Amino acid sequence: MDTRPTGPPDEPEEPTNRPPSMHRVRNWLKRPYAKGIVGLTILLGILLAPMAWLILIPMRVTGAPASEIMGDIQETVFVFTLVSVPIVAFVYAVLVYSLLKWRKYKGDKVPEDESPAIRTNTIGVVMWTVMSSVLAFFLVVWGLIELAQITNNSYGTISADQQPGDEQSVIVNVTGQQWVWTFEYPQHDGVTTDVLYLPKDRPVYFNVTSKDVIHNFWLVELGVKIDANPGAITQTGVTPNKLGSFNLRCAELCGMHHAYMETSVEVVEGETFESVMREMGGGRTA
Amino acid sequence: MSTETIAQTSTVFGEEVPQPRQHGKPGGVMRRLNMGTGLIGGIGLAAIAGFVANALVPSGASTVTFAPAAPDIVYLAILVGWAIGFSAGIGAFVGPIRWFLGRDLTHADAEYMAGKDLGVKRYFKYTTDHKVVGVQYLVVFAFILGLGGLLAMLIRTELGVTWGEVFSPAFYNSLIGTHGIAMIIAMIISVMGPIANFIMPIMIGARDMAFPRLNALSLWLVVIAAVCLVSTLFTGGIQDGWSVYQPLASQGPPAMLGYQMTIIVFAISTGVASVNLMVTALTMRAKGMTWSRTPILVYGVFGAALMGLYAFPFFQYSQIMALSDRIWNTSFFNPLQGGSVWLYENLFWLLGHPEVYVIIIPGTVVLLEIMPVFMRKPLFSFNFAVAGIVGVVALSGLVWAHHMYMTGWAPAANYPFMLSTEMISIPVGFLVLVVIGTMWRGLVWTRLPIMAVYAVIFNKMIGGVTGIYLSDVPVDQYMHGSMFVVAHFHYMLMGAGLFGAMAGLAFYFPKMTGRVLDERTASIGFWTAFTGFQITFMAMFVAGLQGQPRRVLQFDSLFNVPNWISTIGAYIIGLGMLIFAGAVISSWISGDKSPSNPFGSKSLEWQTPTPVPLENFAVLPVVTERPYNYGVPDPYEKELQAADSDLHPEGVGSR
Amino acid sequence: MSTTQAKPEQPRAEEPKYPTTGEPISTIARRARAGLWTLIVMDAAGTIAIVIAYSYLWALNVNGGWAPPGASLTATETNQTIPSTPPAASFATEWPFWAILGLVVLSTLATWFGYRELKRGNHAGMVVGTGAALVVSVGALVAQWIQISTFPFAAGDGAYASAVLLLCASNIFNLIILIFLQLGMLIRTHKGLVSEAVHYQPQILSYWMVWLCIAFLLGAICTSFMVESPNLDPAIFGTFQQQS
Repeated sequence: MDTRPTGPPDEPEEPTNRPPSMHRVRNWLKRPYAKGIVGLTILLGILLAPMAWLILIPMRVTGAPASEIMGDIQETVFVFTLVSVPIVAFVYAVLVYSLLKWRKYKGDKVPEDESPAIRTNTIGVVMWTVMSSVLAFFLVVWGLIELAQITNNSYGTISADQQPGDEQSVIVNVTGQQWVWTFEYPQHDGVTTDVLYLPKDRPVYFNVTSKDVIHNFWLVELGVKIDANPGAITQTGVTPNKLGSFNLRCAELCGMHHAYMETSVEVVEGETFESVMREMGGGRTA
Repeated sequence: MSTETIAQTSTVFGEEVPQPRQHGKPGGVMRRLNMGTGLIGGIGLAAIAGFVANALVPSGASTVTFAPAAPDIVYLAILVGWAIGFSAGIGAFVGPIRWFLGRDLTHADAEYMAGKDLGVKRYFKYTTDHKVVGVQYLVVFAFILGLGGLLAMLIRTELGVTWGEVFSPAFYNSLIGTHGIAMIIAMIISVMGPIANFIMPIMIGARDMAFPRLNALSLWLVVIAAVCLVSTLFTGGIQDGWSVYQPLASQGPPAMLGYQMTIIVFAISTGVASVNLMVTALTMRAKGMTWSRTPILVYGVFGAALMGLYAFPFFQYSQIMALSDRIWNTSFFNPLQGGSVWLYENLFWLLGHPEVYVIIIPGTVVLLEIMPVFMRKPLFSFNFAVAGIVGVVALSGLVWAHHMYMTGWAPAANYPFMLSTEMISIPVGFLVLVVIGTMWRGLVWTRLPIMAVYAVIFNKMIGGVTGIYLSDVPVDQYMHGSMFVVAHFHYMLMGAGLFGAMAGLAFYFPKMTGRVLDERTASIGFWTAFTGFQITFMAMFVAGLQGQPRRVLQFDSLFNVPNWISTIGAYIIGLGMLIFAGAVISSWISGDKSPSNPFGSKSLEWQTPTPVPLENFAVLPVVTERPYNYGVPDPYEKELQAADSDLHPEGVGSR
Repeated sequence: MSTTQAKPEQPRAEEPKYPTTGEPISTIARRARAGLWTLIVMDAAGTIAIVIAYSYLWALNVNGGWAPPGASLTATETNQTIPSTPPAASFATEWPFWAILGLVVLSTLATWFGYRELKRGNHAGMVVGTGAALVVSVGALVAQWIQISTFPFAAGDGAYASAVLLLCASNIFNLIILIFLQLGMLIRTHKGLVSEAVHYQPQILSYWMVWLCIAFLLGAICTSFMVESPNLDPAIFGTFQQQS
C-alpha cells in the first residue's frame, strides 16, 4: 500500500486513497476528446454488436443447422463477431471523431499550425498489443479446440478399405466427376445413387475422390466440405441431426458446368434409410 | 591491352572521372531502338517462330487430352518469339552484350539512356531514369486495371441477369479467370511500380536506383507479359480462375499457355524489380539517413520486395511445370502418371499468400506517408510500424496452407497453419495502431489523399475481421469456395489495396506529373466508387453466407437478390472509377502547373523542384533530422507534469 | 545498425571511380554484392521449388506413377494399359549427377584461384584460372547434355522422369549462363576492365559459383537418396481401393 502522504485532492470531495493510476485514468477521461472517443466506441459497439445475430440469418436461410458441426460453425461465427466488435468499434470511433471534431483546414493552402507531436504513447501501445494478442490467442484456442472436436467426427487418414463397418456408422464413397456426383455405399452391397441419402443421428463417413479434376464436396447445411482430388482419397464425416432435404454443391471450379454440379441430400430416419438402400440394392441407378 | 580504359575523362557531378572508350555517339545502338523497333522485333520474331513451329509439328499430332497439338505449340512459339523479339528490339540485350564484349557505358551513354534531352520520346524507349520508369509503370498499371475492370463489369452483368445466360459458361469462366489475374498483376505493380520507382530514390536522397538498366527491364517485361495476357482473350480464354488449378488447366484451350507465359515473364520482372528495390533501399540512402531516419515507405517497399523475391519463383516454377505437362507430357500434376494436384496447390499458394502482402503492405505504408503531411503530426510509434512490417514479412511465408484447409492434403497441418494465420493478425494490427495513433488528436486538412485513408481503414477492418472467420478451419469448412471468400479478398485487395494505391497516386500526382490534380472531380469519382464498393461486396457477403459457391454463372434463385444488388453496386463502382480516371487524365493533360511542395511536406522527395531534374539533386543531401518532423509540443504534457507534481510533492517516485 | 554512417568521407585518392556515376568503386562493389545476395535468394527459391516437387512426388507416388515403367517389380494398374516396355527402362544411374557436380566444383575452384591471383596482381594467373574454369564449365555442359540424352526414360514416363528432367533442364540453363559469364569475364580481363583495382565482378562471380555448387549438390542428393518411393501402397486412381 502506498504510504506516501497523499497530495492535495484534485477534486474537493473525498480524500484519495485510490492508487495514482486511477487518477491518471480519471484525468485522462476529463479531456473532451477522451470522453468523445470512449463514448463513440461504446455507441458503435452497441450498434455493431447485433451483427453477430444478423450474420447468422443468411447462413440459416435454407434452415437451421442440420448437424452439430454446422451448429459449431455458426456458434463460432457468432462469438468471433462479438469479440471483434470492441476493436472495430474503437477504430471506427477514432475515424468518426477525427472527422467530426478535428477537421480544421481545407483548400490549397498549407496549414500554418500543427498538431501535438505525439511520437509514442507507451500505455496506448501496450494496451493495444495486449488486447490484440489476447484476442488472437482466444481465437486460436477456440479454433484449435473446435477443430479437434470436428475432426473427431471423421476418420482422419484411415484408408478406405480399413474402415470399421459397425452397425451404427454409414460409409459413403463419393466420386466427383465432370459434372455429377455419385455415391456408393460399400456396406450396402455397393449400392450406387446420385442423390445422397443419409440417416439421421448416425455417424456418416465420407471417402471422396475424383475421376478427372478437382471438385469440392460441400454439404451446405451440414457444414461438411472436402476437396475431391483426382489421384487421392480424402475423408470427412458428419452426424446429421435434422430430417430434410439439403444441398450438395460443388465448391471448386471444375470446368464448364461447375455451376450445375449440384444434387440433393436427403436426411431420413434410420429405418427409412435402410429400406431405401434395400430398395436400390443389387442394381445401379442412373 | 587496355584499349578500353582511360581513353578520356568526363565531368560527372563536378568531378573529372576517367571514362572507357566511347563507342559511337552517346547511347550507341540504343539511339535507334525504341518501342517501335521492339514491336517490329516482337511481332516479326513471333511470326517467324509461329511459322517454323507450324512446319515442325507433325500433322495430326494430338495432346494427352486428345486435342490437336498444333495450336498449343504454335501459340507457345508465337509467345516466346514475341518475348524474345520485343526484348531484342527495344534493346534489353544490349546491356549484357556490351558487358560481355567489354564495352562499358560511359557517363554520356548513361545520360543518354536516362533520357537526357530526349523529351517525350524517352517514355517510349528503354529508358533507365527511375522517374520515367515510374510514369511508364503508372500507364501500364492503368491499362491493366482498366482491362480487369471492364471484365468485372461483364462478370457482374452475367451474375445480375439471373433470368438467363448472357455469356456461355466457357466464356464466363474465361471472364473470371482473366479478370482475376489481370487485377492481381495490376495490384502488385500499383504502388511498387509508380511510387516505389519514382518516389523512393528521391525520398532517400539518391540520384537513381541501384541498377538502372534492370529498372527498365522490369518495366518492359511487364509490357511483354501484359501482351501475353491480352492474347489469351483471343485463344480461348483463361478458363480456370486466376489460380489455374491443375489438372483442369490441362483441359483448357491454348490460352492456358498464354497464362503460363504471362506468369513466367512477369515473375522475372518482379524478381528483377525486387533485386533493384532492395539493393537501392539498403545501399543508397543519403548520408545521415540511418535506419531510424528512413521513411516508412522505404521499409514497406523493402519488405514487399523481399516477399516477392522469395515467393515468386514458386509460382513461376509451378507454371513452368504446368507448361511442361501440357507440351511434353510430363506428369508433375497429372495424377494418372504420378503427378499430384497438391503439389500444384502448394507451389501456387507458397506465392499466393505472400503476394497479398506484397499488395497490401505498400498500400499501407503509402497511407503512413500521407498521414503526417495532412495531419501535421509525426507518425505515431514509428518502431511499431517497422515491427509490423517485419512481423508480416517474417510470418508471410508460414501461412500459405490456410488456402488449402479443405484440400485434404495434410489434415494435421491445418492446426499449425491456423495458428500462424491468427498470429499474423498481430503485426497487421500494429500497422492499424500506427494509423490510429497518427490520427489521434491530429488536425485534419481535408484533401483527397487523407480522406481516402478513412475509406481504406474502414474497408481494412471489415476485410480483417472476415479474414478471421476464414482463418478458423471449421468456419472455413462452410465458407471456403463460396462468395464470402470473394467478398473478403475484394475488401482487402480492392477496398484497402486499390483505394490505398489511389490515395498514394493522388498524393504523389503533383510530383510525378507536375500538375495539380482536380481533387473535386477525383473525389466525386472516389466516393462514388467507394459507395458502389460497399453495396457490391456487402451484398456479396450475404450471398456467400447463404451458400452461393464462387465461379458459378447460374445459381439457385435463393441468391438472386444479393446478386442484383451487387451488380447495381458494380456499375456504380465502374462509374466512379471512370470519373476518377477522367479527373486524373484531364489534370495530367491540362491541369494547372503544380508548385514543388504543394502539401508542405518535410520529406526529402518534396524538397526537389517540380518537374524533378534528371539527377534529382544538384548536391546530394545530408540528413540530420528524424522523419515526419511535424508537430508542436503537446499541451497536455504540461498539465500531466503539473498534476504529477501535485501527487508527489516531494518528487518521490517517478511517473 | 548505425554502420550506415560509416560511408567513407572521402574515397582514397587512388581509388578508381565508376565512369557513369562518378562514385568510388568500393561503393559500386558493395551494391553489386548486395544484388548478388538477392539474386541468390531468388535462385534458391526456384531450386527449392524443384526440390519440393521432386520430394513431394517421391513421397506420394500417386497412382503408383513415380517410377518410370518397367523399373519396379510392383507395377500398378492404371486405367490406361501400359504398353509393354523393354525391361531396361529404369531410374537414372546416380554417379553422373555427382560427376557433373564435381566438374562444377572444379570450375569454381579454378575461378577462385584466378580471383586470388588477380588480387595479388598476377594478371596471367587470373586469365589461366578463368580460362580453365570456362573449359571445365563447357565440359560440364556437354556432360549434362549427354546425361539427358542417355536417360533410360522419356518425359512422359511418370513423375520421377518429370522431376529429374526439370532438374537437369535447370542445370543446363545455369551452365549456359555460367559459360556466358565466364567467357565475358575472360574477355573483360583481356581488355583490362578487370584488374587488381577493379575486381568486384570476379568476386561476385566466384560467390555465385559457390551457390551453383550447392544447387547442383541438392540435385545430386535428391537423385541418389530419394529414388524408390516409400509409398508402396498408393490408391488406384478413380477408385477407393489401394493397389493390392
